[in-house]
Amino acid sequence: MRLNSFASAMVGTLLLAVAPAAAADAPGVTADKIRIGSFGALTGPGYLYGKLVMNGVEIVFDEVNAKGGVHGRKLELVREDDRCDPAGAIGAVKKLIYQDQVFALIGGGCSNATFAAREEVEKSKVPLLVFASVHDGITTPPAPNIFSTATTSTIESYAQLEFALKRGAKRIAVVSMRDSWGRARYEPLMAAFKSKGVKPVADEEVSPDANDTTAQVLRLKAANADAVIVLLYPKPAAVFLRDSAKLAFKPIMIGQTGIADPAAFEEQVGVPGGTANFYTISMVRYTPDDPAVDKWRKAIEAKFPGDRLSVFNLFGVGSAQVLVEALKNAGPDLTREKLIAALASIKNFETDTHGGPITCSEADHRCHKSPAWIRKEPGGPTKVLDVTPVSLN
Amino acid sequence: MLFSYLLVSGITTGALYALIALGIVIVNKASGVINFAHGELLMVAGFVAWTLHVGLQLPYGVALLGTVAIGFAVGVLTDRIAFRPLANADLVSLVLATVGLSFILKGTARLIWGGKADYLSFPPLTQAEPILLGPLMIIPQQLVVTAGALAVMIAFAAFFRLTTAGKMMQATADNAKAAKLVGIRTDRVYMMAFAVGSLIAAAAAVLMAPLTLLYPDMGFLLFVKGFAAAVVGGLTSLPGAVLGGILVGVVESLAGGYIHSSAMEVAPFLVIMAVLIVRPTGLLDFAKVRRV
Amino acid sequence: MPVFSRRNVLLVLLAGALILPWMGNPYTLFVGTLLFIYVLLAVGLNLLVGYAGQLAFANAAMFGIGAYTTGLLQVRLELPFFAAFPCGAVVATLVGLVISLPALRLSGLYLALTTLAFAQATQWVFLHWENVTFGAGGFKTPLISFAPLPVETPTGLYFLSLLLAVLLTLFAWNVAASRIGRAFVAIRDGEVAAESLGIDLLRYKALAFAMSGFYAGVAGGLYSALLNFVAPEGFDLFQMVLHKAMIVVGGLGSVTGSLLGAGILVFLLEALRAFKGTQEIAFGALLLVFVIFLRGGLVSVLKRNARGWEEPLRLPERRARLLARPGTASVPGE
Repeated sequence: MRLNSFASAMVGTLLLAVAPAAAADAPGVTADKIRIGSFGALTGPGYLYGKLVMNGVEIVFDEVNAKGGVHGRKLELVREDDRCDPAGAIGAVKKLIYQDQVFALIGGGCSNATFAAREEVEKSKVPLLVFASVHDGITTPPAPNIFSTATTSTIESYAQLEFALKRGAKRIAVVSMRDSWGRARYEPLMAAFKSKGVKPVADEEVSPDANDTTAQVLRLKAANADAVIVLLYPKPAAVFLRDSAKLAFKPIMIGQTGIADPAAFEEQVGVPGGTANFYTISMVRYTPDDPAVDKWRKAIEAKFPGDRLSVFNLFGVGSAQVLVEALKNAGPDLTREKLIAALASIKNFETDTHGGPITCSEADHRCHKSPAWIRKEPGGPTKVLDVTPVSLN
Repeated sequence: MLFSYLLVSGITTGALYALIALGIVIVNKASGVINFAHGELLMVAGFVAWTLHVGLQLPYGVALLGTVAIGFAVGVLTDRIAFRPLANADLVSLVLATVGLSFILKGTARLIWGGKADYLSFPPLTQAEPILLGPLMIIPQQLVVTAGALAVMIAFAAFFRLTTAGKMMQATADNAKAAKLVGIRTDRVYMMAFAVGSLIAAAAAVLMAPLTLLYPDMGFLLFVKGFAAAVVGGLTSLPGAVLGGILVGVVESLAGGYIHSSAMEVAPFLVIMAVLIVRPTGLLDFAKVRRV
Repeated sequence: MPVFSRRNVLLVLLAGALILPWMGNPYTLFVGTLLFIYVLLAVGLNLLVGYAGQLAFANAAMFGIGAYTTGLLQVRLELPFFAAFPCGAVVATLVGLVISLPALRLSGLYLALTTLAFAQATQWVFLHWENVTFGAGGFKTPLISFAPLPVETPTGLYFLSLLLAVLLTLFAWNVAASRIGRAFVAIRDGEVAAESLGIDLLRYKALAFAMSGFYAGVAGGLYSALLNFVAPEGFDLFQMVLHKAMIVVGGLGSVTGSLLGAGILVFLLEALRAFKGTQEIAFGALLLVFVIFLRGGLVSVLKRNARGWEEPLRLPERRARLLARPGTASVPGE
């Protein structure tokens, strides 16, 4: 044991000796460079919300750098793996802040991990822009230095419920995963139910690796549900819709930002017509096959050969554009306080990807409140139905 | 009606577990080792099949053959790299070696295929629409998987009974030293075992992929359920593996239907703990003495 | 005594650990504390797996039980940390005792699966017993305070973990070199033979499981205080693999090996961050390399090549004579 602490102390001091050598006005900022840290899962199942989003961030940084950077400074991205684990996230954030001495952070993929790291980030006063974690506790009550471009789960929950009610649903049911991802959505959804005075007629659970959901479908059928809010990853959701089709259960199915590519989802479900009643929310207003995001598709394919553009990349693109805008607004004499102030005063900023304009304020750091509703008619193209800004009071 | 639906869905899901359990049992039968990377072998084979069939547009049969061949080769390689050097190692080291292998496979798959989609879909062998089977609707691919599990079971039961290679494997598993004495090259037998185990994983992957979808982390839970099924069946019995798989599937399904869907994940594990405590050598292992 | 004997090397490392808080930054302090927690886990697990030879997969679950009990007692019953923490260790010990019951009938792979099933069931309870455990979202624990001592929380926790790691490692050394340690090894090397020597399998297996439960429980309590947050994903199968990897890399059946293994793996996990996305591959490859080329773990290399690293299963001659009883085991026929 001591061997290790000794060794890590050695490595630590070595790194410390190298890292801040060129520090100018703020940590991580030099005359020609800004070091930005990113944490999220690079390994394990959470990599979709970590690594792939970071890839999106990186192509934006590349574009900015190719045009000369922000106020003459190039952006450098330092990635740390949090393995989607609370201890991993706390370690990653501490390393980025104290060892790598980054100027600001953009990251956060897994809800529990980011939530656990919040205290550390808040204490350090390093600005953080959350790019994918939806847990409300990360941004409410607001920490002065933490902002989010993710559609937080409360916003999403209200949107889902309003959508179901607007379509005339009387008997709304919920099917969810009870891991931290599902739980971060489930609880606000139950709160939304309560505030609307509606009770779910059934509340079923599906595991993330489920290969059969016949039992759940039969129970929902018995409860006579006419709308089902699906808080599942695409895989269990696909199994659920497949089994629903098999058992001729045809309510309105309402998805969430985890299933944001209806074309891919239709293939995953596999049963023809299985997604006929499926509507879903996306944080971004384009699906990856949309010509409007051609530029980013090419950038991803060029930089990460073998990858295909995904909605996760697009979260990163939008989020990084917000950060770049704030860095620009913060002016050439960059300090962390200035960046925080610039983030807090972002108003109606249109990114290339997000459903609606990004607006932050001193009081509300959930800057993205315009979930886009999307749907794919079986055999037809994917359509954005509408973008519904949610106002929370 | 509820019961019959739940029973059928339990059996079809159980067939997935049975296919995995068969691979585990065959490796264990010949080598006494449990390959904790079995699920990852299956996952990699699934991605290979996807690359051949969807990526390179090869016909289904060719993709299947190619995948199985590659699976066989990976098995030989696994044996050479990871197991032969560990011939006399203790169980903990062996288990850990296979765990190490599983991490390598998972990481590699994430690098190669992880950026393509969250879950890759794979076209089914048969039509995609559900069909009516008596009063029950069923997805044809589920029947294919069930038939596949039975075919693998019968083929390998015959292999162990009838062929020399199979008998050699059986002999080596029963007593490696004695097998060596009568001139069986036990290292070859072990290699064969891993190769065949991995080949079954590859075949299973192609059958299952349309139902399970493909993603780098699909392997472990499938392995745990397959391992559970294999143990329930006694770890060396092929029919036991199939029955064990179906038992796990049916317990899951009934618990989901009659208790609550939240009980689905935990019910099989509770049943297995109970089975093992009452009957430590598996359900079908009546005659044999307890293994220590 | 050779210069690079175990005692000297470890004392130098201990001295290094004592001054680390004044040399490092908050990150190194965090990693240091994490390291001592893993030392506790590895030492406890090695007693069970390395010495007593029980292939159990429940260590991460017991780690979680320790963390949850410590955290929940603070949050639900508002006990202070220093009251909740021992309770966590006791509960984990009791759970260890319960798991030892199936171990009496099962061994090898069957035991592996039963304990694996137990670990899955524990995860399920963490996730679903929401009225008590807060479910998958986890919960925040209060920040602990070391008042009236004049230390900040992270530093205090660092030294508390260091102290416990040192004390419990010394304790494990003594257990290993005692009648109990020899009984464990006898069970590992052959249950029937051990029984014929008069070793009470029931008692010693239960003891091995209880001890590893205790170590994991202590580690869990410290972990909850370090993170100020308890959630199910901290105690999953990756965690279990990590503990197993530590004892295999360090050396099965060696307390010193556990120290080395914990040190190396915590260090590697941090160093592997540099591999950016290929950590899984690197981690798996390291496991394989260690298992294949360094069977017996690092400690076996040291034992072979350096003097003063032996770990006899007996205390030094003089002390042993004072304590010794004939035979290696308890009274037969209990």
